[in-house]
Amino acid sequence: MLLRIARHDLRCLAADRAAWILVAMLAGSVAYGVYNGSTWVRFQEATLAAVAEDEASRLVQLRRDAEAIAPDAAAPVSWLDPRSPGVVAGSRGQRFAAAPPGPLAAMTVGQADLYPFYFKMTNRTKQTFIAGDEIENPSNLMAGRFDLGFVVVYLFPLLILGLSYNMLSAEREQGTLAMTLAQPVRLRAVLLGKALARAGLVLTLAIGLAVVGSLVAGVDLRAPGVPARLGLWIATVAAYGAFWFALALAVNALGLASATNAVVLVSCWMALVVIAPALISVAVTSLHPVPSRVELIGAIREASSKASQEGSGLLAQYYEDHPELMPASSAPIAADFLVKLQAVQKTVDETIEPVMARYDDQLARQQELVDRLRFLTPAVATQEALNDVSGTSLGRHKHFMAQVDDFHQVWQNFFIPRVMRRERFSLDDYDAIPEFEFREQPLSAVARRAAGGLLGLIAPSAVLTLAGLALLRRYPVAGR
Amino acid sequence: MLEAVDLTKTYNGTAALDALSLTIAPGEVFCLLGANGAGKTTTINLFLNFIQPTKGVARISGLDVTEHPLQTKRHLAYIPEQVMLYPNLTGVENLDYFAALAGRELTQDESRSFLVEAGLPAEAAGRRVKTYSKGMRQKVGIAVAMAKQADVLLLDEPTSGLDPKASNEFSELIKLMSDRGTAILMATHDLFRAKESGTRVGIMKHGRLVETLNTDDIGHADLEKLYLEHMRD
Repeated sequence: MLLRIARHDLRCLAADRAAWILVAMLAGSVAYGVYNGSTWVRFQEATLAAVAEDEASRLVQLRRDAEAIAPDAAAPVSWLDPRSPGVVAGSRGQRFAAAPPGPLAAMTVGQADLYPFYFKMTNRTKQTFIAGDEIENPSNLMAGRFDLGFVVVYLFPLLILGLSYNMLSAEREQGTLAMTLAQPVRLRAVLLGKALARAGLVLTLAIGLAVVGSLVAGVDLRAPGVPARLGLWIATVAAYGAFWFALALAVNALGLASATNAVVLVSCWMALVVIAPALISVAVTSLHPVPSRVELIGAIREASSKASQEGSGLLAQYYEDHPELMPASSAPIAADFLVKLQAVQKTVDETIEPVMARYDDQLARQQELVDRLRFLTPAVATQEALNDVSGTSLGRHKHFMAQVDDFHQVWQNFFIPRVMRRERFSLDDYDAIPEFEFREQPLSAVARRAAGGLLGLIAPSAVLTLAGLALLRRYPVAGR
Repeated sequence: MLEAVDLTKTYNGTAALDALSLTIAPGEVFCLLGANGAGKTTTINLFLNFIQPTKGVARISGLDVTEHPLQTKRHLAYIPEQVMLYPNLTGVENLDYFAALAGRELTQDESRSFLVEAGLPAEAAGRRVKTYSKGMRQKVGIAVAMAKQADVLLLDEPTSGLDPKASNEFSELIKLMSDRGTAILMATHDLFRAKESGTRVGIMKHGRLVETLNTDDIGHADLEKLYLEHMRD
């Protein structure tokens, strides 16, 4: 019976021009969203390719220069001399630590365009490389991209409401409800059948187009974890759509006029999609404000200038602390600026560390609060889940940053002893320069968080549906 | 068979229908007369289980409509004053849907022949219903009743607004249904039609059935006189 009602409803929709317009709008915005997302992914990939190309050609040139120097040549004097470990570590031999775009980044860019995705590694402090920003139009960054995530979170509910706000009220208003209920069929079957038909149509279309579009845009299904992520993406969108249909169902069950339904539902959309996320954002930033960036920069400057003044003193101090790095008296490289700088860096690092840590702590607290508050509105729960499974979340960025930190440590451990011992950088050493290899966020972590979000969507949908069906008992079929 | 026993519906203490007791046998056409607000539509809505009775029982084929809402509708057809159909679908598609809800999947040919039997021009069956006149939509309603082989027909002022020819055609259809053994309850303002097609008439006033008589026992002029007498005061 449900299927028969659903089939009939689809037939009615097919004969209605307004429904076609809504469907066309949905298809158009999904296509545009995928296009924008894949443009961003292609930009990232092109940037990373350019970066890799730069790194490779620089290292080839460096090695060629090193080979050109006779083994018994005089001690290096040039700031570009390839035999000086400080030169290799801090300029000519720098490697990049880069994160590829998330596995489904074309489907949800989210705020990933605000996170840096590659760093030029150096033997200096973290501060010197962490601030390498991408140049992008700030107004674009502020508004965010018209990506598929935006289409799903903001536009998708409007289209659903446009298609379902008068599911039942229109039947009553045009008089067909009485004819229908004069047949042996329950009101709840009529409403459920119609909701299922419309949900089936919209979800199939939206998800089908999104998946096809993203495969065309280059999402690689054979890559590890991608089918599972795609499955979670689909489940999240389906659950989010189900929430809006459940809401429309519940409002229709109140027995109000179509126009009233429309006003009520649009108000819900405003409250849940526009206002609540803004309030959550205000709550998060005012409860756990991030320390001023000016304060951080000030601390760095102060520490640097103080350390520089103490320059040679710090170097002596350094060797006192690290007697094993004390260079032989016949060391081939002079105790030049670079060596001194290395000693200074360490002091600066130690001074700045607590200031940086405060940043990270506050960010972690913010994310923790978002984790809890996201359940207040399906819009935030969905956005977070989509970011997670697409690999464009803050969580993945932090995962990347932790790897960058580790790599920085490896880099320092490799170069600093060579710098401080004032050794010559040998040809073998070039092959041993550490390389960064990005490890994707583990699927289990992604799936756990996305599953929480899914639950936060399914539970209210179920409650709304059940409440709606219960309300139908008092539905005024015949007015008085 | 239709049966009301002490059927009462009150809204905020005012009786819209007051202790109606009535039995309509198969093949009978019972016409309910009365002013607007006399309780005619309330009676029909109670039989349809669209509203709940305050007291008493409405039975269709012996089953209480509130306890067996689905079974009682399996063989019931309802034709309101305005038969409202899905405007963007054709007559055939509308009939298909309502018959399917009643548990009967029709073929295209079956649908068309029911519509033609109900008096719809064959060329109109494949047209969108929004181009139909009121009379044509009612014929689709009759076709639904025929397709589901209704034992019971509830009609709410079906002939108001129809031109005399359409009205006459409608009476023919009522007669056809009644000859097949359908029990028919028709609320109407049309005394002439009531006398012509009804086997019995009942006059309602303020929710009470105040008079019941066989149409054979009374002439048209006398029926009108009687009706107006009741409406006085």
